[in-house]
Formats: sequence, C-alpha cells, structure tokens
Amino acid sequence: MNNSQTTGVASKRAYVAAIAIILFFWQVAAWFLPDFLMPDVPVALQRLWEELNSGEFYEGLGNSMSRLGIGYGAALFFGIILGLVGGTLDMVRSTLKAAIIILQSIPSIAWVPLFLILMGFGNMPIIVVVAIGAFFPTALSVMNATESVEKVHISAARVMGASKMQMLKRVYFPAVTPELITGAQLAFGNAWRALISAEMIVGFSAGLGKSLAYSGEIADMTGVMTNILVIAILAAVIDQVILERIKHRLLRYQYL
Amino acid sequence: MELQFSQVTKSFGDLNVIKQFDTTIRNGEIVALVGPSGCGKSTLLHMLAGLQQPTSGTLTAGGASVAKPSPERTLVFQEHALYPWMTLLDNVALALEFQDKPRKTSLAEARKWLSRVKLEGFEDYYPHQVSGGMRQRCALARAFIARPKVLLLDEPFGALDALTRMTLQSVLKDLIEEERPTVVLVTHDVDEALYLADRVMVFSQRPATVLREVELGHIPKTHDLTAFADVRLEVLHLLGIDTDEHTPADSQGETA
Ligand SMILES: Nc1ncnc2c1ncn2[C@@H]1O[C@H](COP(=O)(O)OP(=O)(O)OP(=O)(O)O)[C@@H](O)[C@H]1O
Ligand SMILES: [Mg+2]
Repeated sequence: MNNSQTTGVASKRAYVAAIAIILFFWQVAAWFLPDFLMPDVPVALQRLWEELNSGEFYEGLGNSMSRLGIGYGAALFFGIILGLVGGTLDMVRSTLKAAIIILQSIPSIAWVPLFLILMGFGNMPIIVVVAIGAFFPTALSVMNATESVEKVHISAARVMGASKMQMLKRVYFPAVTPELITGAQLAFGNAWRALISAEMIVGFSAGLGKSLAYSGEIADMTGVMTNILVIAILAAVIDQVILERIKHRLLRYQYL
Repeated sequence: MELQFSQVTKSFGDLNVIKQFDTTIRNGEIVALVGPSGCGKSTLLHMLAGLQQPTSGTLTAGGASVAKPSPERTLVFQEHALYPWMTLLDNVALALEFQDKPRKTSLAEARKWLSRVKLEGFEDYYPHQVSGGMRQRCALARAFIARPKVLLLDEPFGALDALTRMTLQSVLKDLIEEERPTVVLVTHDVDEALYLADRVMVFSQRPATVLREVELGHIPKTHDLTAFADVRLEVLHLLGIDTDEHTPADSQGETA
C-alpha cells in the first residue's frame, strides 16, 4: 500500500523534528546553567565521538547488549509459550491473567535485591530482571490474542484434520502474531528500562548503565549526558529500525 | 458415504435446537436444508462434521459413529474461513499438509485445484487482495483437494451478490458432478437449493422439525428453474414468505 510508505516518510520527518526540538531545549538549558552542571550539545557530541573511538565503550556496549539479548529473548520465548498455552486453556486462563496483571504492576527493578541475594553478584540478576520486565507484556498480549482467535479459523483447521501441534504452528501462532509484535515492542521498552536501571544498581562489570552511574558519581556531567544520549539513540534504533523491520516482514500480508 | 441420523437431539443448556431428528442421506445424494434463521441448520452440519456432538441419539457416517472431525467429511463456511496470513496457494495446500503430505506435492496439487476453480494467476495473492467470489472459489478448492467423501456446505455463497452467486453455483455443480461426494448444503436461497439438490428439506422454527421434504431426483438442471415453479412457491410459502403476486405492497415496489 502506498499509504504506509507516505506515513513512513511522515513519521521519519516527525522524528527528525522531535530530535531537533529535544536538542534545542538541552542547548537552551546549557546556556543558562554553568558548564559543570549542563554541557553544551556540541561538547557532548564531541565526547560521544571520542567514546565511539575507544575500546572501553564497546566492551560496555557488548555486555549490555548480550544481557538484553539473553533476557529479552528468553522472555519472548517463554512469554509466547505461556500465552499460547494459557490462552487455549479455558480453565486456568482468567486466574493466570490476573496473576500476570498483579506481577506486571511491580516495577522490574524492585526484584533486584531479591535476585542479587538469590543468585549473587554477576550478570545473572541483571538478565533475570530484564527478562521479568519483558515477559509479562509478551505473555499477556499473546494470551489475549489467543483467546480471540476466530472460531471459524479453528473449526476449519479441525475439519481439515490438523493435529494439536499443526494447529498451534499454522493457526494460533500466525493468528496472534500482530498482537505479539505489539506486545514485544512494549516488552522491549520494559526490558530496556530494566537493563539500564539494573546495571546502574548492580554495577557488575562494564555496561551502559554502570557507565552512566559512574559518570554521575564523579560529577562528570558531560559523561552523564553522553551516556543518556547513547541510551536514547540505541533504544530508538532498536525499536524504530530493527523491531519495525521485523514487524513489516512478519506482517507482510497486511501491508500489501 | 451414507449419513444417518437416528433420534438425534441437540440442546445448548435449556435451548432445544434439534429434537429427535431422523433421516438417511444416501451415498452420493445431494441434500439441501432450508429453514428459518436460528432453527439449527448450522448445528446439524457441525454435528455431521464432528465439530459438535449430539446431546442424545446417534449419528453415523458410512456406518461408523461420528465422534470427531475427519478430512473425509469437510465443511465449507460462509466466509472468512481462509487464513488471511497465507496466500491462496498456501491456503489450499494446507488441507493436504494437515494430512502430513509433503509440502512439494501439496503445492503442486493446490496449483491444479486453483486452476480447476479458475484462479490460475492468483496463487500468490492474499485473501484480502481478491474479491469475495474468488475467496469462495478458493474455499471450494480447499474443500475438494482432500477428496472428501462428504461435502458439507454452510451457506457457502450467502455473502455474495446474486450474479457471482449463480456463477459459483455452476462451479460447485461441476465439481460435485466430477467428484461425486455426498453433499449436504445449507442455504437461504431456495433457487440455489432447487438448482443443486436432489432433495430439499424444509425446516420449521426451533426446535427444528422437517416441515416438508421434496424429492427433485438427480436430473440435469440449468439455472432456468421454471419447471420447478410449483415446488419453489410451496417452499417459499413454508418459509413464511408471501408468494401472492398481487399484494399492493408488491406492485408499489415495482413502480418505485
Ligand atoms: N455453541 C452454542 N452455544 C449456545 N447456543 C448455540 C450454540 N450454537 C448455536 N446455538 C443456538 O442454537 C440455535 C441454532 O443455531 P444455528 O447456528 O444452528 O442456526 P441456523 O439454522 O444455522 O441459523 P442461520 O440460518 O441464521 O445460520 C440458535 O438459537 C443459536 O443461538
Ligand atoms: Mg447457520
């Protein structure tokens, strides 16, 4: 459809405008505040460039991305399974849903002390907290979508002699994919927030959150703003570029 | 395949939908069921398909009790039964893939059936990209590809305009004559029943009982149904439709 392309261009323009406005307000703040409280935008960009040319930055980036990848990936995997199974079992569904809604309302960062004690200082508590943040929205969206799969689509598959496994793979899974993707994008936002905050608190080996917390501790405001910049850019790239691409690929049939 | 209802009763809670229904549908016979909305026609078909079980009584197909769906008895729905996330080709091939046929032979067979319903060139279209008539052609291909012994049709052309409907009735008639399944057709269109069926059963309001059974015999027919004018009027009358041509309301409708 031509429509989606024009809206694509329009949303890109909106993004460029939004970034310009945010940087503008930052710069205005920098004019009014002394340099040690708020660095100029060009100074932060200069620091970002230096960071990009240092090995240390990539070590932190690599650590953070693998924690995100493992935690988010596991959350998607188990969230989809729980969602599909829960959505098809009429008996447990409402209880399960209520449980998820309750657990979901706990900020994922609140789990840090528990898992720190349970699992010890290391990567694991960060990964688990990331996974918790992403798991609930994924499971909930898949479960809701599974529940509302068109009856006639299920009956048609039964009449054609589909086994349980075939039904799950060829009917339920594709039917819930649109909602799953929306849920996965929501889950990514949660996972990202959980990752950065957990890294700031736990402070185990290099990472984006740790680097931010450290800059704060030594009152290096240029470092703080540079780290925030990195965190914002990465989130936007992952969500708007990678996840949107995957979405268009998986839902290709809807965009034709 | 002979279908036999003996003393079949179906109720949903307090709602008696079908009461002690008896009939035998001979192997290769084409039976049309007509009746008021909500009288239980779809319920009868769903029981034949094995999607629902009678509350009491027995229902057999080829002498064996109907306990669950089987590709031998396939059901065509009114609309929206194609999977929107699959191309027409994949939709048709799926019927064989669900029977664990290799994908390659399924696709080859599906191509053949799509061309039999005059859809060659549309293999890679998604359902929402083709017309309602084309979707139902595809649904017929998906039903016939499994070579069912029993073909159950639930208002297959109910959502189509009159002209498309007549074209598809001819397509269906040809397919039935070539493949010779036993057919049970539910329809609101009395002309469709007369054109396609060997026998028409007219049902009453709920709980459904047979008001009248008309044997038309298996004779070659065209869309010119003048020879059946008397039967047509009688059936319409039983369905509570005013067949008096000289009512004032009617003549007003013609001048308007
Ligand atoms: N799963 C169900 N649970 C409860 N009631 C049902 C169920 N399926 C059907 N009914 C009821 O049974 C009655 C008959 O339904 P059915 O769909 O068989 O009617 P129908 O003759 O096919 O009507 P129409 O011509 O409008 O399609 C209706 O009153 C309907 O509300
Ligand atoms: Mg019906």
